[in-house]
Amino acid sequence: MPLNFKFATLISVTTHLRFMLRIQFKRFFTFLILVLALGFHTSALAFEGDAANGKKLFKANCAACHKLDKKLIGPALGDMTERRSAEWLVAWIRDNGALRASGDADAQAVFDEYNGMPMTAFPALSDQDIYDILQYSIEGDAPAVPQGGTPTPTGEPVATTPDYVLPMLFVLGAVFVLLLILLIKMKNTLRVVQGKDAESIGDEISAFRKGLVANKFLMTIGTLAVGIFVLYFAYWWLMGIGVEKDYQPVQPIAFSHKVHAGQNKIDCNYCHSSARHSKTSGIPSTNVCMNCHKYVDGSEIVDESGQLKYGGDRSPEIAKIYAAIGWDVDKLAYIEGYEQKAVQWVRVHNLPDLVYFNHAQHVTAGGVDCETCHGPVSEMDVLKQYSDLTMGWCVECHRETEVNTDNGYYDGYHENIKEKYHTDKITVDKIGGLECGKCHY
Amino acid sequence: MANSKKYWQGFEDLVDSPLAKKFQQNEFAEDIPSDEFLGNNEALGNSQTTRRDFLKYLGFSTAAATLAACETPIVESIPYVVKPDSITPGVPTFYASTFFDGYDYAPVLVKTREGRPIKLEPNNLATFNKGTNARVQASVLSLYDSERLREPLVDGAETTWKDALAKVKSALDGAAGKEVIFMTATVISPSTKKIIAELKEKYPNLTHVTYDAVSVSQKLDIYQNLLGERAMPRYRLDKAELVVSFAADFLGDWNGQDVAAEYAAARKPGKNMLRHVQLESVMSLTGSNADKRIKLKPSEYGAALVYLTSKVASGTGHASAFEVGSLNDQLKPQLDEIAKELVAKGGKSLVLVGGNDIHLERFAAAMNMMLGNESAAVDYTDRVYLRQGNDKEVEAALKNMAAGNVGVVMTSGINPAYTLHGYAEAVSKVGTTVSLTDRLDESASLSNIVLPTSHFLESWGGFHPKRKTYTLAQPTINPLFNTIQVEDILLSLTGNTLSYKDYLKEFYQTMVEPKAPENTWNIALQNGVVEKEETDLDYFITEAEIFSIPDLKQRIIEALVDSSTALAKQKAGSYEIVFYQKIGIGSGNMANNPWLQELPDPVSRISWDNYLTISAADAVALGFEMSNDTNGGLNGNYANITVGGVKLEKVPVFVQPGQAIGTVGIAVGYGRTACGKAANNLGVNAYTLISGLEHWNTDVTIENIGGKHEYASIQLGHTMMGRKIVNEVTLADYMNVDPHDWNHHHEFATYKGKLSANETNIWDDLDHETLHMWNMSIDLNSCTGCGACVVSCHLENNVPVVGKEEVRNHRDMHWLRIDRYYSSDMSKAEAAKQGYSGVGLIGKGATDMYAEMEIPSESPDVVFQPVMCQHCNHAPCETVCPVAATSHSREGLNHMAYNRCIGTRYCANNCPYKVRRFNWFNYMGNSKFKDVNPAQDDYGRMVLNPDVNVRSRGVMEKCSMCIQRIQYAKLEAKKKGKKIEDGSFTTACAQACSTGAITFGDVNNKKSEVSALKEDERAYHLLEEVGTQPSVFYQTKVRNRA
Repeated sequence: MPLNFKFATLISVTTHLRFMLRIQFKRFFTFLILVLALGFHTSALAFEGDAANGKKLFKANCAACHKLDKKLIGPALGDMTERRSAEWLVAWIRDNGALRASGDADAQAVFDEYNGMPMTAFPALSDQDIYDILQYSIEGDAPAVPQGGTPTPTGEPVATTPDYVLPMLFVLGAVFVLLLILLIKMKNTLRVVQGKDAESIGDEISAFRKGLVANKFLMTIGTLAVGIFVLYFAYWWLMGIGVEKDYQPVQPIAFSHKVHAGQNKIDCNYCHSSARHSKTSGIPSTNVCMNCHKYVDGSEIVDESGQLKYGGDRSPEIAKIYAAIGWDVDKLAYIEGYEQKAVQWVRVHNLPDLVYFNHAQHVTAGGVDCETCHGPVSEMDVLKQYSDLTMGWCVECHRETEVNTDNGYYDGYHENIKEKYHTDKITVDKIGGLECGKCHY
Repeated sequence: MANSKKYWQGFEDLVDSPLAKKFQQNEFAEDIPSDEFLGNNEALGNSQTTRRDFLKYLGFSTAAATLAACETPIVESIPYVVKPDSITPGVPTFYASTFFDGYDYAPVLVKTREGRPIKLEPNNLATFNKGTNARVQASVLSLYDSERLREPLVDGAETTWKDALAKVKSALDGAAGKEVIFMTATVISPSTKKIIAELKEKYPNLTHVTYDAVSVSQKLDIYQNLLGERAMPRYRLDKAELVVSFAADFLGDWNGQDVAAEYAAARKPGKNMLRHVQLESVMSLTGSNADKRIKLKPSEYGAALVYLTSKVASGTGHASAFEVGSLNDQLKPQLDEIAKELVAKGGKSLVLVGGNDIHLERFAAAMNMMLGNESAAVDYTDRVYLRQGNDKEVEAALKNMAAGNVGVVMTSGINPAYTLHGYAEAVSKVGTTVSLTDRLDESASLSNIVLPTSHFLESWGGFHPKRKTYTLAQPTINPLFNTIQVEDILLSLTGNTLSYKDYLKEFYQTMVEPKAPENTWNIALQNGVVEKEETDLDYFITEAEIFSIPDLKQRIIEALVDSSTALAKQKAGSYEIVFYQKIGIGSGNMANNPWLQELPDPVSRISWDNYLTISAADAVALGFEMSNDTNGGLNGNYANITVGGVKLEKVPVFVQPGQAIGTVGIAVGYGRTACGKAANNLGVNAYTLISGLEHWNTDVTIENIGGKHEYASIQLGHTMMGRKIVNEVTLADYMNVDPHDWNHHHEFATYKGKLSANETNIWDDLDHETLHMWNMSIDLNSCTGCGACVVSCHLENNVPVVGKEEVRNHRDMHWLRIDRYYSSDMSKAEAAKQGYSGVGLIGKGATDMYAEMEIPSESPDVVFQPVMCQHCNHAPCETVCPVAATSHSREGLNHMAYNRCIGTRYCANNCPYKVRRFNWFNYMGNSKFKDVNPAQDDYGRMVLNPDVNVRSRGVMEKCSMCIQRIQYAKLEAKKKGKKIEDGSFTTACAQACSTGAITFGDVNNKKSEVSALKEDERAYHLLEEVGTQPSVFYQTKVRNRA
């Protein structure tokens, strides 16, 4: 995780700086325009708005069809206050149909330009609301304030080895060898003095080995130790076969859960919608991606250095979605008669066929958080398997997790169990959650 | 002395035969060809692979395989590009539809998963034919039959639809001046009939011929004459208290109307329980359910029926002077008694007649009129259209074809080259033949143009099965192959550009909706059924017409004298044959369905075959023998039979208890040559013996040609040997005698006094009180043995099909079987009466009694008993499993963890009910089962239930009580935060059962139906004395007799 953390910090810091610069410039520019405009068109600034509230309203009401800097379904709105008067805009936004009906030529022209596609009327917005939106369109996005103070790019403290240790070890080793040689020399000298033949190191070693082999106790203990060691590792190696914890396959699209679930805080169930209803959580179909990616084409993505990652072009990864479903990015429409191709994702969590697992049971009935089994997905750029997914892992959780007793299905059952087993803690195993047939059929 | 003792190994030693000498010299009776591979030095020397190399390769490949197994395979997970709104992956979606194939009709619910239909269930909104029989259940597999045609064929070559339809049109245009024949099975769709009428407008020389392979045309002729339309009265068995049936197999295949549900409802034990008297030749499913069964030869049907009518007539004050043919003297008193019973029941009785004979039907109809049944069990207003075949039209068409007067013959949904005598010859004289068919069958292979048609699950349809019912069918999947449904083909021939869907919708909105305004098109599609239950004459399609019952009655009775003269002329043959349809294969149109082939005949218990049924006495007279191989496999002899001059060779012969002496029976639907790999070359084609669409023939000669035919029989013991397996009681005893006497529960004498089997056992009791406790009640009084549950279980649980040879080896995989037992003339009481008290060689004793008990009676009572895993709460299988692969749940179920099983089979050996099934082979992968196991090809695999494991070789399996459904229902309840309601779900077998014999539920829910049934005085456990405390219990069968 530390690596990811650093990376995230880096991105947010650079983004921050970049936005600061851009906004400063933009503010200055807007100010300039305002000053100029004041001279010619006094009505242009006939309002005072709260950009923060405007942003909220804009996201809620306008963002599906408009962007500030870019034409989407409707025109770009960044400069609308320069093009139109505030009164006209208020009238248009509140009920453009009525404005057209009143014979306003500009309104009719806009309507015709966008192929007679009427804009939704917003009669509920007050004048002030609209002014706020207009203010927001002038100011644009304020820089995101990083939470929890300004993070400093501190690296993890690294335990480095002091430089002198290794040479010292060599020196010590050499001294030890020297002492050994001296010892043997001495011993041989003593033997010669006693009138015996000198012995080589080889002879010494073989004598030692023979002694060792002759010692049955040592041999037995040694063999047992080696045997247990080998068996221990063999057992754990074998137990690990088929356990794919940390499995992190390369996906056909460089999709990042960190960006979607982490930074943008999209609820897991938005994309994996069948998790609440079905045994499978469901890989989102491409049309679900398009709910957002009709508008988000990746051109805004900035890299670590604060530069636009794709130079203002669309992301090639998001383009893969467009290629799958047949989205014409220029016309902002689906291509008719396009031969759609499914995205062939690589499955990360593979349970064997012999076990029946149901997401709805855990998510809806059990109220288990996705992260309990899937881990910190919102921090994973490339998704990986977080848990063992072994039976032992399932069983452990079933032994510890308490059942949600509020569910009307359990009416009466819990009283029965409490009475029968004299316990208030009703865990999954107490209602038969460890029985073979509950998962294997 | 010790040295002189000689041990002999077998009788061969004593007679000193050459075989024994050979055995003494050689250990192996046959030489083991070891020389072939070891003695041949030359071959060994020339081999490139030395023994050391071989071992090296072996070691290397083992190591490589081990390492490869450690690698994770990459599994792709491919989502929809645009997900349809109606589909949530992993959640089933149901659609209402209607099954009709010209033979069976059933309103159904189609269960689809991810867009694939995988199961059919009965549509509970329907009140008519609401059951699904074995064929309807199995029909979903026919959708995925890889033998279906994929492209249109012209002169045997694949072509485009445009080209093929153009060829058909030009043939039709070119046939001006000659006749065009459009031959179909019964059409019950008014919109389809309208299209045919439009086609006829365009081609005035077109004749529509309705041909039913199993025809009841002569019966229909009567009602057409009386009522003005080709229909049968609706028979309401639930309103009768006595049904007398002359060879009418109304629980099997009779006139398309499924009366099993009403029959079972009327046979609830009690004062007004329906009594069933059956007079027939072969042991039919219906006959085996009868309270009284009388054996008759087909030639005697007429005389017996006329005699009975005259008695009933005189009893009810009608003219009774009919000519009665020769009648067996033993029969007369029995018929007198039946007549007395009928007269006593008055308007609450019903007389039914089988076969295709105008005279017999006339007498049955007259008797119903005399008794006044038209006000209860015979409904002339809500009449049934399920059979409309017309033999005269068929005969005329064949004559015209043979005379060369026919330019084009178009057939749809029928296979006359296989079923119709003389068709193949006649069709060779026709210019162009067009087949609208799903496969290149016997008829299609004779056709110039073959148009592949869609399966009913890929088609739209609107049906009018009876007067007050209209049902719709909707496609649940896009056509798998390049097929078009029949109606769309016909529409394009008429030049109509509408699709049949739009045509049908328009038809519905103009013809049906005005009569039932609350059922708009969308609501009707959702419900599948539009029914009118009012008693007034309110019809959907046909106009109301006035007829009076007294007028009908007079017209029926008027014709009786002539008919009695015709019937009296009938001659008896030395042997007489009855053509019947099996409960699985029926008329044979779905013969390539392995599930139906594997379903054993409920009476003979033989699968994958047809045969000549013969009585034991005739078998002895003609020298036919049944024998068993050492593994129990059943064998029979062959016969050559000649019927009306047509000879059928090498027909296997099967001795059937209950078969009338002097008669034989044979099932149609077998002996296919071009149906598909599962059906081809199974049995013999009995249709070749039927020359005039009759159901029996009295001109038969039988020749024994010996030989050995190997049957795939799954039950070899036929009697209960005096044990309480199926508990049975007469209605009189049930009503008047203390239940303890007829439903005796076993007791053990202990030091604590007499205790029941439940109270004396060596096991600890499990906690079954705190949560659910799933139990199942099987009412042996309602079970007719039809086998729908068996097929339904196959579908639901991915039960493999094993094929004829493995069934013969007793390796059938049915999780649910229906045991059939015959009564024996010998019983303990009978033995006591006859003084079987001898010991050993002196006098007859217990061994003689048991030997005689094994022999079924010549006229046996028959009982059926569905047996699946009994889910014993003290299960013998669980205690012997060395790896704890089978264990018990708190909910009263016996769980089986396949992945844990190592295949010791101890459990199966220790199971007193023999319900555990072992996977001897990898049926889903082994090429030996390629022809029979549907899951071996990519299409057949689509029918597998994704919620149930597909078991592999070496694993034990058994009924799980549809635990996937239990878990699903529990989850649905938890999602809603509510308790499970009784009856909100059930097992696959219970759902398929149209008679309601199987009831499943939670006995801890005191309001549930099953908990009430558990306390019923008829309830008992199978082999109670073993002390297994099963979760399945049975309800005593009650026979309605004194």
